[in-house]
Order: sequence, then C-alpha cells, then structure tokens
Amino acid sequence: MAVDQLDNDPSDDVKLLPGDFAIWIFIFAELLVFGMAFISYAIARSLNVDMFNQYQLTLNHEFGAINTLLLLTSSYFVVLAVKAIRVDDVKKCKQWLITSLGCGSAFLILKSVEYADKFAEGISLSTNTFYMFYLSLTLFHVFHVILGMIILGAIVFKAQRGAYSAANHTGVETGASYWHMVDLVWIILFPLVYIIR
Amino acid sequence: MIKVAQKQLNVHQLWLLIMFLTLTTYALGKLGFSGVWVMLILLSTAAIKATIIMRDFMELRGVSKLWQWMMYGWLGFVCLAISISYFVS
Repeated sequence: MAVDQLDNDPSDDVKLLPGDFAIWIFIFAELLVFGMAFISYAIARSLNVDMFNQYQLTLNHEFGAINTLLLLTSSYFVVLAVKAIRVDDVKKCKQWLITSLGCGSAFLILKSVEYADKFAEGISLSTNTFYMFYLSLTLFHVFHVILGMIILGAIVFKAQRGAYSAANHTGVETGASYWHMVDLVWIILFPLVYIIR
Repeated sequence: MIKVAQKQLNVHQLWLLIMFLTLTTYALGKLGFSGVWVMLILLSTAAIKATIIMRDFMELRGVSKLWQWMMYGWLGFVCLAISISYFVS
C-alpha cells in the first residue's frame, strides 16, 4: 500500500511517456541512426562542397517543401486523433487518422514522382557521393513513412472493431508517437539535403 | 521564444507556425541565399520546428528529465555537429 501511495504521489508531477514505453526505446534508436546519417552527410559535404552544392540544385525543392507541409499536417491530424480518443470520440479519431494516412499517401506519390524523374535521368546510388546520400537517406526515410502508415492503418482497423476508448488508448498513442518521429526526422532532412548550401 | 509560444499558442496555432516556418525555409532556399549565417538560420528554424513537434505533438513536456535530455540532447547534438562541419568546410 505504501508503495502504491509513493507511485501515485501527485507532488511527483512527472508525466509518463505517451503510448507503450517500448516504442520510445525504438524511437530513440531510430533517431540515433538518422542522426549518424545526417552527420555523415554533413562531413561528406565538407570534403566536397562544390559537388554537393552543384547537384543539390538538381533536386525538386517544391516537392521537398510540399512533402514537409504534408508530413507536418499529417502529424497535426494525428494529434487531433489522440485528443479525440481521449474524450471517447472513436469516430473522429478514425477520421483524423484516415486523413493523416491521406497526407502520407500524397507524400509517397510525390516522392515516387521525384525518384522516377531521377531514375529516368540515369541517376543511381553510384552516380556520385551526393546522390548516394540523397537516395539512401530519403529512401530510408520513405521506408519509415510506409511502416508508419501500416501502423496507423492497423490502428484504424482496430478502432473500427472497438478496440480503443477513453480508458484504453495506449495503442493510438504508441502509433502517434512513431508517426511524429517520422515527421521529426524529415524536419531535419529537408533543409539539410534540399536547402542548406 | 519557444516558452512564450508554449504559453500562448494552442496546437492549431503551433501547426500554423511550423507550416509558416517551412515556407520561410523554402523561400530562403529558392532565393538562393547561402553562407554560414543562412545555414545557422535554416538550422535554427528546423530546430524550433523539431522542438515544437517533440514538446507539443510527442508530448514530452512534463515527462521525466532523462527522456527530455535524451530527445532534446539528440536534436542539439545533431544540429551542433552539422553546424561545425559547415563551419570547417
């Protein structure tokens, strides 16, 4: 009983991480991997600034910016989905998640068009160091977007079957936390690869 | 600045703010600005957006100090390392 009282001490005032704790270990591990990749890009660029600046101009900045807006908006919709389930509004939660999936789909379509253009020009991982980083960094991120969309899709499916409520929504928070991580990584990736010169 | 934003802005306003910061980043790139100071502005803009995502969207505000240090520490370390590599290039 004494232990219970200590655990629930309101003066403690420390919130628990939203969602399943395991996802936060996974999120931090992913951030470390992306962080090392970003630093590797910056170091490689410092060794060949002219080449990186030259080929950076060949990227589609409009698509990069629109994709950033799409991911930020999808994250915002996921926040609204979490707020909805916390007040037991399952229908709105599903609607916001489906809208967020729409943004994710639009991101993937734009990225596919971008890659198709580059591949049509004969560009590949072995073209030069800049394209090696551009393709591997963005493709690695795309895989995370796809995984995030699968997770959000599974949450919508489970919500449809009545698995979540105001009292039980850890799954929604877990998926939301992962999706925000995907957004967070792109927030650094976009200026680093597309803009900063 | 972020503390002020936290107190005054709700999640809808924060979303508008990060959208505006993204358009600013795009505009700076489109206008062809370059150099160390522009790099610092762009990286700071990205760091502000990332902080808003972590604090308000991922709900890190109020969680244990260890997790806050780990997450914000990651952001700070990555931005610092990128800045140093641009300074020495």
